[in-house]
Amino acid sequence: MKPTLDALRPCLDGAIPSIIATCALDGTPNVAYASQVHYVDAQHVALSYQFFSKTRENVLAHPYAQAQVIEPGSFRHFRLRLQYLRTETGGPLFEYMKAQLAGIAAQTGMDKVFVLQGADIYRVLDIEAVDPDLPPAPPLPDALLNLRHALELLDDAVDLSELADRALAALTPGFGIRHALLLMLDETGDALYTLASLGYTDSGIGAEVKVGEGLIGVSAREKIPVRINYRTGDYNYQAAIRAASPGEARIPLPVLAEPHSQIAVPLIRAGQLVGVLYAESEHDACFNHADEDALVVYARHLATLVSQAPSEQDDAEPAHTKANALPSGTPLRVRYFPVDHSIFIDNDYLIKGVAGSILWTLLNEYVASGRLDFCNRELRRDPRLPLPDFGDNLETRLILLQRRLAERCPAIALEKTGRGRFRLVLARPLTLNAAG
Amino acid sequence: MSVQLTVEQSVFLQGPVSINVAATRHDGWPCVCRAQGCMVAHDRRTITVLLSARRGHAVLDALDTSSSIAAVFSRPATHATLQFKSRHAARVVLKAAHRACATRYAQAFAGELVTLGYGPELGQGLIAIMTTGDLIALRFVPEIVFDQTPGPAAGQVLATA
Repeated sequence: MKPTLDALRPCLDGAIPSIIATCALDGTPNVAYASQVHYVDAQHVALSYQFFSKTRENVLAHPYAQAQVIEPGSFRHFRLRLQYLRTETGGPLFEYMKAQLAGIAAQTGMDKVFVLQGADIYRVLDIEAVDPDLPPAPPLPDALLNLRHALELLDDAVDLSELADRALAALTPGFGIRHALLLMLDETGDALYTLASLGYTDSGIGAEVKVGEGLIGVSAREKIPVRINYRTGDYNYQAAIRAASPGEARIPLPVLAEPHSQIAVPLIRAGQLVGVLYAESEHDACFNHADEDALVVYARHLATLVSQAPSEQDDAEPAHTKANALPSGTPLRVRYFPVDHSIFIDNDYLIKGVAGSILWTLLNEYVASGRLDFCNRELRRDPRLPLPDFGDNLETRLILLQRRLAERCPAIALEKTGRGRFRLVLARPLTLNAAG
Repeated sequence: MSVQLTVEQSVFLQGPVSINVAATRHDGWPCVCRAQGCMVAHDRRTITVLLSARRGHAVLDALDTSSSIAAVFSRPATHATLQFKSRHAARVVLKAAHRACATRYAQAFAGELVTLGYGPELGQGLIAIMTTGDLIALRFVPEIVFDQTPGPAAGQVLATA
């Protein structure tokens, strides 16, 4: 029985270089290494086009080629008869190959030299197993079983905050992942913010990534999984484009300085981007194609869970509990910049955007009336908050704010007092100041 | 006319390099096969590559019709790559030296890959496919040499007859 292209996906992960043979119109053969033979679907592969080569010249004139791919772990060879169809110069497939090429380029010392010009699409007409008697490679870890284990750990999360943490924690027993981020799309649709992280010294909660920027941003913009199997120094594909300078209203992503494997998978629900799940490793080729498939399913499931969580019934009214003792000590100097709703506490950046606006509203309410108890429903209706009418992300912003406060300013805390209700807990008095 | 390889090129070709040869079938389809060893003549003007008859049947059949061959040699440790082309490839009588070369080559190439971290299974697989039972020796006179080390200079002609 002839092997299927689906069965050859381990050969197309770039671990062992593939060979491509073509011939000129006069019959002169050419044989070259292919930087990428990328799995497109069960009938097509794509080859990267970086430079105008003899291979490309040949297939444009005579669109037939043979690729030889090798299974890592067994050295079994397979030969693919290919027919060149077209070249794509943009879109999801192009972007994926461009990102992957950055990793391949770094591995071959071609960092910043390899630039993808196009994705050459070929139809696979025939596959020949060259070594049918050779035992196949040992099976890969069962990604489907890993997925099942990971999903089981999400089952009984009590709220969105717990779900976000569990979604990352479940990746360790499930997939052996030790460094990961969960980012949510903000209300503008132009940026993602970090809601939860796993395995970093600094949590990076609140760190933002622009859509289209870095590996995470490309995954978000194209709504595709992007996986790089080798360390890349390519600036464009680092998860974090730049570190924040002190005083800048920006929280740095807490990612590894030199990841050897990276994967970003979009959270998509009903065709809409909700966020991005990102994982990385210090080891080469940590994520295979089966891991990618499993994480795509995982992220889609997670997108549904995350989207459903805020729709739970909120309690109608804020709680009415006894006021705590008045805060004491040196007042915290809280400064607010309306232009981006950023908040600095004692001159240190805390947060901006919707979360910053929420905190500013709560603190003003407290200063004006002494009020400490609030509920989500009233915040949703508060005209001072820049929340969209639908899909307001209020819950995720409150979790973000709560976590950022716990890390950076424990003198101010948000404590949950019921479903959709919370209390402002202040350990020190406040001085509020809004910049003109 | 032929190209005379440099001493460095001759050493490179006979080292732990990945070797693949291509030909064009009578129906115009290109075909490719992994070779399992290379010997360069003393005068450095002919190259002999060793192929398994079974694994390389398509290439060997193609060369029975048209003797044009392309051969690419690449060192995994450095990615240094050379391609040679010739219009005159032909089978030659297999000698004990060819078998010895193929055996040495398989050991050296497998060792190189394992050193690079490819894992012992891959090395064992390589040894398993590179048996010498159906070895064919193909000799050709290189007429043009290309640098194919990855990068913008790939495809540059290094020497031509």
